[in-house]
Amino acid sequence: MTTTTKLKLNLGPQHPSTHGVLRLILELDGEKILSCEPDIGYLHRGMERMAEGLTYVQYLPTVDRIDYLAGFFYSELLCRTVEQALGVSLSERVKTIRVTMLELCRIASHLLWIGAFLMDLGAVSPFFYAMREREMILRYFEKLTGQRMMYNYFVFGGVRKDIDYLYDIEDIINIIPAKLNDYEKIISENPIFIQRTKNKGILEPELAINNSITGVNLRASGINYDLRNSDYLYTDIDFKPIVMSGKDSFTRYKARLEEIRESIKIVKTCITKLKKNSNFEQKLINPLTLKLPDGEFYSEIEAPRGLASVYIKSQEQDKPYRLKWRTGSYYSVNLLRKLLVGEYLNDAIAISGSLDFILPEVDK
Amino acid sequence: MNIEELKPILNNIYIEGNKICVNNNLHKTLAFLKDNYYYDMLKSITAVDIKNAIELIYNLYSTENEEEVLISVKVEKEAESVSDLYDSAIADENEIYDMFGVYFNGHENLKRLYMPENWDGYPLRKDYVQDDTRLAWNDNNDEA
Repeated sequence: MTTTTKLKLNLGPQHPSTHGVLRLILELDGEKILSCEPDIGYLHRGMERMAEGLTYVQYLPTVDRIDYLAGFFYSELLCRTVEQALGVSLSERVKTIRVTMLELCRIASHLLWIGAFLMDLGAVSPFFYAMREREMILRYFEKLTGQRMMYNYFVFGGVRKDIDYLYDIEDIINIIPAKLNDYEKIISENPIFIQRTKNKGILEPELAINNSITGVNLRASGINYDLRNSDYLYTDIDFKPIVMSGKDSFTRYKARLEEIRESIKIVKTCITKLKKNSNFEQKLINPLTLKLPDGEFYSEIEAPRGLASVYIKSQEQDKPYRLKWRTGSYYSVNLLRKLLVGEYLNDAIAISGSLDFILPEVDK
Repeated sequence: MNIEELKPILNNIYIEGNKICVNNNLHKTLAFLKDNYYYDMLKSITAVDIKNAIELIYNLYSTENEEEVLISVKVEKEAESVSDLYDSAIADENEIYDMFGVYFNGHENLKRLYMPENWDGYPLRKDYVQDDTRLAWNDNNDEA
């Protein structure tokens, strides 16, 4: 007679591959996962409560910290909401500057993901290659904004200063495509990598939609939903959303590589536009008198980790009455409840890594 | 979809700005929209403390028709859970329970999410007072 006992296992909160502090409470039968319960909140900073006590101008520098790998996206969201509420429209050059920054930031974020994901699977060297390429972008950000990660570069009605050192961006976009080909050679054809990712962590489109998964993870399951199609910043920029139908971890990796290539194309278009149009005109809003009219304001953006949105309810004050962030990672972590069931423990890290969530964004 | 055309089908709804407001048959309305208008994604649930009640705003999206609709319901302490319709509601409702103290009937596992399990009060409510003596900065209230 054999009896099976269920084993309760804590994964995290300090596991190196949890990308922050995430605790997964797993129930195991042998090595098979029976249930998974994510425990979050180790990084909660009260971003929403904090907004109710700060003016919009005071709050703006803090929003970079919501996702420290893609800070530009959250500054852009807050700036955009305030601008739309006040009816300010940006000049062409400022719009192009913002798109350039957002796309460079997306490349940096995806590069870090590639490195970290491969590190999770036990391959150490791609991490250094990816960090080397990401470093070029961060150096450029530091040169322009003075900061490597917390930029505080977008302000209400414009940007802090005009873009400069375009030759640096040109270097970046000339170097990275060749490096991506190198990655493909050492990663995409690696038998160990293929065995650990192909047909693993299959995310059916229905499950993804029901779990409110957006961004690359949804597009790698075959649903064409890219917010940049309807984004006002991207109206005269030509790009094609990356939609793939593989549904597994390997496809999500491929989709992110392709997305970097697409972002490079967008940056290239932006550089030509910036060189053509040097009319730098700002519509800055006076921070001392900045008040949002009575009402509710909502805007959303395609962030590297899925749809991000902000909701502001204002009561004619210089502070929001209520501010709510919606982040993509929050739902990706919630998806683990469903996605890990029936998989083996050694695949848990590979699958959760492939979803690209980041914990500060989950806890807010 | 024009939200006006829903009015005769679903009685008990009224329209406020760009939102469809329901009184108590929230689950029925969402199930109807999911089945008949393909609103298959619940983007987020936003809770707002409007002093005498908590307003919950459901942001539904249809990947097929690429349309969005907002459903609003005003509750006091209890609400209907929609986690059987949308898996993502499990996370959203848990967050709202933690921050606003709204109890969702039918949710499988409501627990404190960001706050410790024995925490008093709900931080995003407007009447929340930070006077917990376990916090270091509240220890010496008299001296300050």
